Amino acid sequence: MFTDDNRARARDIVAQYPRARSAIMPLAYLAQDQHGWLPPEAIPEIAEFCGVSAAEVQGTVSFYTMFKRRPCGRLVVSVCTNVTCLVVGGPEILEHLEVKYASDDDVTVEEVECLAACGNAPSMQVNYEFHERLTPEVAEAIVEDYKAGRLAARTVSGTPQ
Amino acid sequence: MTTGQAQTDTELVTLTIDGREVQARKGELLIKVAQENGVYIPRFCWHERMEPVGMCRMCLVQVDGMRGFPPACTTPVAEGMVAHTDTEPVKKIQDGVLEFLLINHPLDCPVCDRGGECPLQDQTLAFGPGESRFTEEKRHFEKPIPLSGLVLLDRERCIQCGRCTRFAEEIAGDPLIDFGERSDRMQVVTFPDEPFSSYFSGNTVQICPVGALLSKPYRFKARPWDLSTSETTCTTCAVGCRGALQSSSNRLLRLLGVDLDAVNQGWLCDKGRYGYEWVHADERVLEPSVRVRNAMVDVSWPEALEAVANELQRAIELHGPSSVAVLGGARGSNEDAYAWVRLAKGVIGTDNVDAQLGDGLPADAVLGLPRAEIDDLDQAAAIVLLGPDLKEELPVLYLRVKQAAVSKKVPLLDLAPVDVGLTPYATAVSRTVPGEEGVAAERLVAAIGGRASGDAGIDAFAAAATGRSGPVVVVLGRGSVAQSAAPTMRAAAAFAALPNVRFLSALRRGNVHGALDLGLAPGFLPGRVTLDAGRGWFAPIWQTVPKERGLDAEGILRAAADGKVRVLVLLGADPVADFPDTDLARRAIDGAGYVVAVDAFLSESTRRADAFLPCTVWGEKAGTTTNLEGRVQRLGRKVSPEGTTMDDWRIAGELAVRLGNDFDLEFVDEVTDEIATVAPAHAGARSQLLRRSRDGVVLPVREHLHEIMVRTGDLNIMAEDGPAVSWDPIRVDAAEPSEEGDAAHEVDEARGEAERLEREAPAHHEWDRAANVGDAPGRDAYALRLVSGRELYDGGRITTCSPSLAPLRKDSALMVHPQDLARIGVEEGTQVRVTSSRATVTLPVRTHPSVPAGTARLPFTADGRGASELIDTTTMVTDLRVETIS
Amino acid sequence: MGRFSGFLVTARQMFKPRLTTEYPEQVREYPARRHGRHVLNRYEDGMEKCIGCELCAGICPARCIYVRGADNPPDDPVSPGERYGFVYEINYLRCIHCDLCVEACPTEAITETKLFEFSWNNRNDSIYTKDQLLVDDDGHPRKQPWEAWAPGQDENLSEWVRATSPSGMAEYEGRVSWSGDLGHGVRDPGPTQAELDGREEID
Repeated sequence: MFTDDNRARARDIVAQYPRARSAIMPLAYLAQDQHGWLPPEAIPEIAEFCGVSAAEVQGTVSFYTMFKRRPCGRLVVSVCTNVTCLVVGGPEILEHLEVKYASDDDVTVEEVECLAACGNAPSMQVNYEFHERLTPEVAEAIVEDYKAGRLAARTVSGTPQ
Repeated sequence: MTTGQAQTDTELVTLTIDGREVQARKGELLIKVAQENGVYIPRFCWHERMEPVGMCRMCLVQVDGMRGFPPACTTPVAEGMVAHTDTEPVKKIQDGVLEFLLINHPLDCPVCDRGGECPLQDQTLAFGPGESRFTEEKRHFEKPIPLSGLVLLDRERCIQCGRCTRFAEEIAGDPLIDFGERSDRMQVVTFPDEPFSSYFSGNTVQICPVGALLSKPYRFKARPWDLSTSETTCTTCAVGCRGALQSSSNRLLRLLGVDLDAVNQGWLCDKGRYGYEWVHADERVLEPSVRVRNAMVDVSWPEALEAVANELQRAIELHGPSSVAVLGGARGSNEDAYAWVRLAKGVIGTDNVDAQLGDGLPADAVLGLPRAEIDDLDQAAAIVLLGPDLKEELPVLYLRVKQAAVSKKVPLLDLAPVDVGLTPYATAVSRTVPGEEGVAAERLVAAIGGRASGDAGIDAFAAAATGRSGPVVVVLGRGSVAQSAAPTMRAAAAFAALPNVRFLSALRRGNVHGALDLGLAPGFLPGRVTLDAGRGWFAPIWQTVPKERGLDAEGILRAAADGKVRVLVLLGADPVADFPDTDLARRAIDGAGYVVAVDAFLSESTRRADAFLPCTVWGEKAGTTTNLEGRVQRLGRKVSPEGTTMDDWRIAGELAVRLGNDFDLEFVDEVTDEIATVAPAHAGARSQLLRRSRDGVVLPVREHLHEIMVRTGDLNIMAEDGPAVSWDPIRVDAAEPSEEGDAAHEVDEARGEAERLEREAPAHHEWDRAANVGDAPGRDAYALRLVSGRELYDGGRITTCSPSLAPLRKDSALMVHPQDLARIGVEEGTQVRVTSSRATVTLPVRTHPSVPAGTARLPFTADGRGASELIDTTTMVTDLRVETIS
Repeated sequence: MGRFSGFLVTARQMFKPRLTTEYPEQVREYPARRHGRHVLNRYEDGMEKCIGCELCAGICPARCIYVRGADNPPDDPVSPGERYGFVYEINYLRCIHCDLCVEACPTEAITETKLFEFSWNNRNDSIYTKDQLLVDDDGHPRKQPWEAWAPGQDENLSEWVRATSPSGMAEYEGRVSWSGDLGHGVRDPGPTQAELDGREEID
């Protein structure tokens, strides 16, 4: 459920659009920011704000992989393993991070398709912040910096905090 | 008609399709024009009754001068357009699209319910590549998952055409399904806690082009090639939807919606679609029985008829004809109603006859008010909704009103006592206190007349309606069974002052309009004539005609409770369950001297009968039925009756013979023909005309002869060549009516007959508006006014005896406004003591925002502790006191 | 010759070899693919092959097959997949042994034995039910009391006639394209077209 603060923000967001249903995605991000993921309970509430059925919100949020419908860590590390990154070591970075953070509840490592950063491959995102020209060690160091607060992390939706 | 077509105008254009020059209305879609001219363009997502979306890419064609390959379903025709549907590039596209669709299609056709009538199968055969190059593993999902209690989803088979999701949103207004996930995981989803519990969910199964959506009741019951089909009319409610009834091995297995433009436009509600199950219910009574020393004993038909006839004879001789009363008859056919009216009024001579059970409108209003047709809704200047929740009681009428309001932008005023299914689509809402409907109606009349009404909603509506042509259609019914018909009648009296106003009476029972038209009401004779006006006409035709006006249902029950009714005939009626006052109904059944039940089931009423005559039911008998607009349509006889059941009209005839009057009616068509010769409103509606007329005949026949469409083809669900058509609108070809009168000779005969009766027979009854003006009742400020309506899945026989529908019933609770709950001072869901002037019951109370403050809603469930314990039929409204249980 | 010409025909036939035999004492050798009484086959693991799809009933020109499907019980399935043949009946007073049902069957569930010597005193017996048609636990037909089985008639149950095999389509030559039967295993793919024709392989 939205906090009172976020409920007010939700109303403002809905008011920005000529049709309330256009606010489905912004509200889903808002809910995701609040909970750290998008719990199923949030969906009927979003539906009510947007004047649509819960099934329609469910349909929309399940289309986008950036809506985390299962609990995830505070940091979502997306490692690219598409063609360019593949040839310069993306999979190794992925494997390294997956092993390293397998039991770390704070960090969720995921494999993603092309992040459009081929020029400086291999690349990854931490909460949608780009990091390029990586090696497994550099990647780990970056994640550690985020964990320790030396780098300011965005929310899991990629909203700057 | 879809809005896509609404944008078309009458201007004709000439275009060329595959080298043939054709004419079409400008703006019409190419795919439709091609089909009308014999060129079938394959398609999956396009459905004529829905907005085109161009999702499936199957209908891509070539149009000279247009870049690429436009989809025929989104391309409007234009003057000089040259389209090609069978060129090599188009064929290559069709091959490609089909090969692509089949990549993830499991091809488990042998076990798929759609196999044999599958559009994907058919179109792959006709337009597909023949072979696939895909050798990889297909996607896998768990085989069918339930979307609701009635619909199963096989995600492997889905081709993502979006017909179901679009239907749910566009047509039904219940967007409870949508596409979820992406790419090859894309699937139809519901929200986990919210099943696809739309009242119209079965339609998605019918329009699904693959076997992805499946009917649970039909699952694995038969294959398309072992079904035989008859055209029929659904009698679950009074809308009269056209359907194709299918059976195999003498079991009803499926009802498909037939696209009757004037009525259901191809759609059915789930209760109608799956309600056929009750026909084969184990609870059916199949042998006649009579009470011998307090126990029912199975007897032969002659014995049973003899026993009943003797009782009737004795009652007439000892206590006069008016000691006999007949209740019910709204669930049979027109022929049943006529034969029973002839028996009751023309042989026995009693006028104590009523097809309604105190929960409808007075017959003189239903028969006498100017009537609208359902199609008038689309062209109306405005629609006023004063009555029950159409979504619950007349679901397909709800679809038509919604379509008029949403697609045709007809202003809709909602005057129902609580929020109803149509409220979200209303232009304006005015919630009046139940019982004060007349005040609202008078305000509306004032507002339309240009005076301020004092109600913002009504003023806004009147402004929206101003300047629009067409009739004002009032959907008139009792917004609540807990109040008498008087407030509705007072409103009707006000509305009747509007210019060009027409009414659709929202009575719910299947053939209640047919029964009233044929005189199953006190004071009336067949053909919408009053007893007094018609006495001279019917006296020479029948043996007798009642001397004076008789009692209505409430009067009959009171007389029976007082022991004044010697023989009470229950014609498919269950007053204990359906009459608003259960206690009175119980006392009446107990107090009646001899109770004859003509029914298919034992109910709380018929269980107490002294003679039980089992009758045939829908699907087992031929005949005709009349819907709420007065449209007479034929019923299809698809299965042979089980046991030794008999048609109701035949029972009446057999009893008449034993009372010394032979009707001389051998076949059901002879009854139809007799109605067509004696009943003024029905004059000319002979069985042969009804057989030839595609859309039935609207009463009074003489005013609607010019509308008759003479059929030129048969209902054809499995096409001879080309794809099976059941997923697209199922239609019957008919010739357009013509001015010159060169239609079928049946129409000319009907005209002759109608004109003869117009000269000779009495005039139709017209409603007297002056007699219906009265005052609204006052109210105690602490009381909550009871609003009670039916739900679609109620405790009635169709729901409880259909295994698929029975689990869909909801439990009832007293619904109040949150403010009132706070005032009562209890938590949501607690049991409270509810007291009316008649009884005190204990019920759980819940809040619902749809209920205005000061009112309380309680479903009129046909069994259990529902509203029928509380309703006081002697007063105009029922007020409740709700108290905590200390 | 006149009136004796007819006798000449008879006389000529008298010295030709006789085509008729003293049936039933003498029984001729049956063709390998003769059409006889049907069986419903099972897979090697004992599951029924019939899925109750009714294609056999749909194609049957004599309308002698009655099938009804039902949901497979999830914990104890009768056949692989969702649906199984819940009712399966063949009326042998109507059956013309055309084998179209065998052609239509998508799972090779229904095939024919070579038995044709069966008669009964009761019309009800002419309608074979699923219990009678289904092969037993060894994969052999269940012999009814009124059936006269000759040796070999219950062999090679899945050696059914199929217009497209073994040699209808060149690319299927030598390939086993049917599943194994309970008690019989997977049958040999059969001779190639060239072998049937008695000629050398082309390539």
